[in-house]
Amino acid sequence: MVLGAYPRSRLARYALRDRERGTLDFSQYTSRLLIVHSEIIGVQKANGLPIVVDGMVDWHDIFRPFIMRWKNVSVNGLLRYFDNNFFYRIPVFTGEPDPLEPVWLPRIRQFKDLAEPSSLKIVLPGPFTFVNLSQNISDLSKTELAEAITSILKSEIELVKEENVFIQVDEPLVGDRRLSKDDVEEYLDYWNEIASLSSENSAIAIYFDVPQKEVFDLVLESKFKYISVDVIDSKRRAIELLEKTGLPGHVPVLGIVDARRIHEDKLDDELLTMIKKLSKEYQEIVLTTTTWLDLIPYTYALKKTKILSKFVDIVSEKLGLEKRILWR
Amino acid sequence: MEYQVPRKFPTTVVGSYPKLEPAKQALRKIRKKQATLDELRDLFVEAIRGVVEDHLWAGVDIISDGEQTREDMVVYFAERMNGYMPGEWTRIFDNVYFRKPIIYGKVEWPEPLTVEDWKIASSFAEGRPVKGILTGPYTMLEWSFDLYYGDRREAIIDLAKELRKEIEALVNAGAKYIQIDEPALSTRPWKEEADIVKEALKIMLDGLDVKKIVHICFGKIEYILPYILEFPVDQFDLEFKNSNFRLLPYLKEYGYDKELGYGVIDVHTTQIESVDEIVEDIEKIMQLGILSPEKIYIDPDCGLKRLPRDIARQKLKNMVEAAKIAREKW
Repeated sequence: MVLGAYPRSRLARYALRDRERGTLDFSQYTSRLLIVHSEIIGVQKANGLPIVVDGMVDWHDIFRPFIMRWKNVSVNGLLRYFDNNFFYRIPVFTGEPDPLEPVWLPRIRQFKDLAEPSSLKIVLPGPFTFVNLSQNISDLSKTELAEAITSILKSEIELVKEENVFIQVDEPLVGDRRLSKDDVEEYLDYWNEIASLSSENSAIAIYFDVPQKEVFDLVLESKFKYISVDVIDSKRRAIELLEKTGLPGHVPVLGIVDARRIHEDKLDDELLTMIKKLSKEYQEIVLTTTTWLDLIPYTYALKKTKILSKFVDIVSEKLGLEKRILWR
Repeated sequence: MEYQVPRKFPTTVVGSYPKLEPAKQALRKIRKKQATLDELRDLFVEAIRGVVEDHLWAGVDIISDGEQTREDMVVYFAERMNGYMPGEWTRIFDNVYFRKPIIYGKVEWPEPLTVEDWKIASSFAEGRPVKGILTGPYTMLEWSFDLYYGDRREAIIDLAKELRKEIEALVNAGAKYIQIDEPALSTRPWKEEADIVKEALKIMLDGLDVKKIVHICFGKIEYILPYILEFPVDQFDLEFKNSNFRLLPYLKEYGYDKELGYGVIDVHTTQIESVDEIVEDIEKIMQLGILSPEKIYIDPDCGLKRLPRDIARQKLKNMVEAAKIAREKW
């Protein structure tokens, strides 16, 4: 599976632009986006991905689709999103967030048939990243806000639990190497509340950097079955961490296709050796992209999807592993 | 006619300014490949003159050309340097994109890239100094796709060597203030990254008799601050207003003693800071007691290009008024 959203093709860019300008009515807009999302789902299926994303091309950033559907939260100025030349709008909480409508249920209903026989994945911003990249001017304490956000994220999952979807909770901020265990500890309970709703089919995704061991140890205590780690951006640190701690009780999800750069990825001996070692300990290993693909142009995102598929073939052939254990 | 820059709290700009109509027209034509920049020079002259007039109206002491010819701070240089090729649309925020360039060969400076605009601005500046401004090698690499070097340090150093030639061209033309924009530096606040930039700056600035400025903005600057204090520059130009002056205590903690470009105008909001508000913000740094007024340059957080012109203009005017009041007190 790829980790998250795809970039916008020309059709998507123009549809969004014309909708914002008011020159495209809602039905024209949705039909154009349907074409775009269908193409993205089709590309993933054509490359053999058993779990696919709908492309999420209408998401301006990871928080926006949620906060636009919640009361008591608005958006403020732009802030750089980690070390990317990409900016998100800061969510501003003015009171307890209150969802007006769900984000994922309508999308799953729209795209489920299109995705078959693959399963769809839903992606949720994790409570730690959400709270810490937002501005809270409400009367809620940070803890109360985290609880409120967790509760809404859980309701998103509850609404789609009959739909056989894969749940991914993104916590890129957990990868910040400056964090200590104390910064993150409180969120273990929130993660577990979310994971317990779909323990066999849920992942936590950490990317852009590799967390400190003490922080990663906390992640390992979570009930998410799958843990996704970016092993390319800080390759040496990632490999050292995985060698040191392993992922006991979890399934490794390895971000080995660089989603932030456009070069043709190579599966070098270092990566193959790491996967080989892990394959001896784990019944299942998942290969994925390092992060969402929307930080590179569309044509390259399509190429990266193909590269991911190729990597599964290479690993399967070189290490004699069944393909089904390398996918999800 | 030489302009006397005030000794205390000189006012300045970071660089970019809203694109004025002639520049917009010209850039549209260039984008559609209907004309080249040189063929449309008259339109850019008109635009730069408009920017300078706004700066003079506001009373800014050290001004810029408003970067009217630059569609984007990285793309402008990348499109003109050998070793780069045009990229495809990559999103920056919302539904806004830039054509993220691609390094496909050894980078080379072909000819002066910013000197003509600097000269045009200077010709209208009534003696006020005009900053020579260019995007730094670290940001040039970070905001490009690299398909050639593979090694970040090697790419940055090569870019620094080539951009040095641009700086020399500006200095030869008469520029007394050289500003290197490195907004990307705040995104990877590690010592090893700062060390590469320090090496690059030495290559770019060594031996030049000019005011040497580095502009950094929008990120956790406090994390990088201890590593950059040894950079071979006279001044750091930093964003303060947008981050609610969070950086101030760190300046004291790390014993900051270089000149400081003190960002008091939020470039991401159309709300115009009042004169009183800016005066209060100047007070904040003065209360710390770490820098004298001679070392503090009052300016916006970053370039003003995303604001409407009338807002940008008034923000600058209020900033200048506030600096005058602060001069009287300090």
